[in-house]
Amino acid sequence: MAAAVDQRNHQLTYIDVDRTAQRVMAPGGLKYWLWVGFCAFLVAVGGSYWTRQIYEGLGVTGLGQAAMWTVYITNFVFWVGIAHSGTLISAILYLFRTRWRTAVYRCAETMTLFAVLTAGLFPIIHLGRPWFFYWLCPYPNERYLQPDFRSPLTWDFFAISTYLTTSALFLFMGLIPDIANQRDVAVGWRKKFYTILACGWQGSDVQWRNFSMGYLLLAGLATPLVLSVHSVVSWDFAMMQTPGMHSTIFAPYFVAGAIFSGCALVLTLLIPMRKMLQIEDLVTIWNLDNLSKVVLLTSLVVTYSYATEIFMVWYGQDPIELATFHQRFFGAQGYLGLGMLFCNCLVPLLLFSPSVRTNTVWLFVISIFVNIGMWIERFVLIAGSLSTATMPSQWKFYVPRATEVLITVGSFGWFLMNFSLFAKFLPIVSMTELKEGIGWLRKSQRNSYPYRKAA
Amino acid sequence: MSSDIELVGVFTTDDQCAHAVEQLHHVRILGFHTFAPFPSEKIAEAVDEVREWGKSPVRKWVLAGGITGVITAIVLTVGTSWEWNLNTGGRPIASIAPYIVIMFELMILFGVMGAINSFFILSGLPSFELAPGYRTRFGADRFGLVVRVAEGDDAKIETLMREAGAEDVVREAA
Repeated sequence: MAAAVDQRNHQLTYIDVDRTAQRVMAPGGLKYWLWVGFCAFLVAVGGSYWTRQIYEGLGVTGLGQAAMWTVYITNFVFWVGIAHSGTLISAILYLFRTRWRTAVYRCAETMTLFAVLTAGLFPIIHLGRPWFFYWLCPYPNERYLQPDFRSPLTWDFFAISTYLTTSALFLFMGLIPDIANQRDVAVGWRKKFYTILACGWQGSDVQWRNFSMGYLLLAGLATPLVLSVHSVVSWDFAMMQTPGMHSTIFAPYFVAGAIFSGCALVLTLLIPMRKMLQIEDLVTIWNLDNLSKVVLLTSLVVTYSYATEIFMVWYGQDPIELATFHQRFFGAQGYLGLGMLFCNCLVPLLLFSPSVRTNTVWLFVISIFVNIGMWIERFVLIAGSLSTATMPSQWKFYVPRATEVLITVGSFGWFLMNFSLFAKFLPIVSMTELKEGIGWLRKSQRNSYPYRKAA
Repeated sequence: MSSDIELVGVFTTDDQCAHAVEQLHHVRILGFHTFAPFPSEKIAEAVDEVREWGKSPVRKWVLAGGITGVITAIVLTVGTSWEWNLNTGGRPIASIAPYIVIMFELMILFGVMGAINSFFILSGLPSFELAPGYRTRFGADRFGLVVRVAEGDDAKIETLMREAGAEDVVREAA
């Protein structure tokens, strides 16, 4: 199969890139709309359970006095983490001029936007009175009250809203030339839609000059931003005195974990998507191979972080910290801690094998394990640490109820529905960057392992 | 009525288009613009040599945005702390260290706004009128060079563009 793809890539032209992208954006068939309908159904189920929670109060959930931050905040951290890979691939790797990113970055960037949108919902869902969420915003009021700018929760508000705005604008700016391309070939309502979104882009020398500088600077701004956002999220926990959370390693540990889980979800989405949307010519095994190397690298960083964290607890010999970590791996919910190690540290080691990295089935299975493992990691860290805090009399292991479970399922439906709609109406691969790099793209692919092996 | 006409040269590669721009520079013709389906460094260098543009002013807008963001954050955090002058636990009324997070985030946010706004303003967007000489293929797989010349000079420029590798040269009224 790799050889066949390789053969097609040798002949790839500018027009082929456009045609493939346009084929993806052709009106969806019955299967596509059934899939979107299924996702919408999950959103409706999650939404109805949230409505019930608002009506009856947080008592319908399994949240308790000790473990007040559990599934909802786990989901928040999980989705923010997912978002990070998009910025890594689109901004950081852009600054390094990494060649393999061109075919996959739009997909990752889109994932970023919808993941941040999903993440932003959870602190609101978590509120007993969600209609007061605006209290986090600074706004003029007659009592001169403002949020406490020393609080990590206020930092979070600023970090997430900046990240959402930056991700959306970065994605939109990159889309403009591709949308203009679609405007020139579309008919009917799509033509009007793309004409408005393209804002009159024509690719003149003046426009490209400002675009290139603006995009480069946006990438430069997004790079420290992405590192700061998950650091700020980690400080939500690290600034607390709670055993199991009060640790200085959290910021880099969270950033590495975020990129790890995000790249794994890019694989989870790309592998079926490239098959269903028939974009194997553009998103090749070579791209997946490189992406899986990032997953492997970040897995090793995460493993090192786990080891450092455990070592610091052992070396500190604080009895409460020791008890918390003992509970994390050998307590009543110790299977979650051990499962986390299995999914995040052991399973990704398979990616050392080039034949695994170039096998889409293996990659898909491994990425699912990583997604599950990283969700468990956040759950263990948040719910586990809070369940076994300093007062043993208050120890109570949290067990989620239907409300949290179905709202979580609904959030996946919300993410997938938005992503699927985007892929059908806007270019999910960057035609501009693929055309720009078409020459060296062929050369790099020819020199890569899957093609050498096929040859 | 103007006697100028526009010649639209269609090229298959950015090399050819950049070469044609260099040739125009040699014959001291500056009234032209190019179209490309992607940001070609070759064309950008050739055009820059003619127009001596230097670096895009977008970066100045980003710098101004970043500085504005930091100042806004200082006013917001320190200003509101001083306004609600309540000492809690002996901590300073305005704690600069935690406020740095807010300053950093607003610096990025305003810098991003500066980048986007300057990109739109300096590129003349949004604009819903097509530029003279634009062809839909210039957004797909061809490179365009549109030159405004006096009616008597058109043959010379057409020859120049064809020699540079133009696939087609079309005349249009200016």
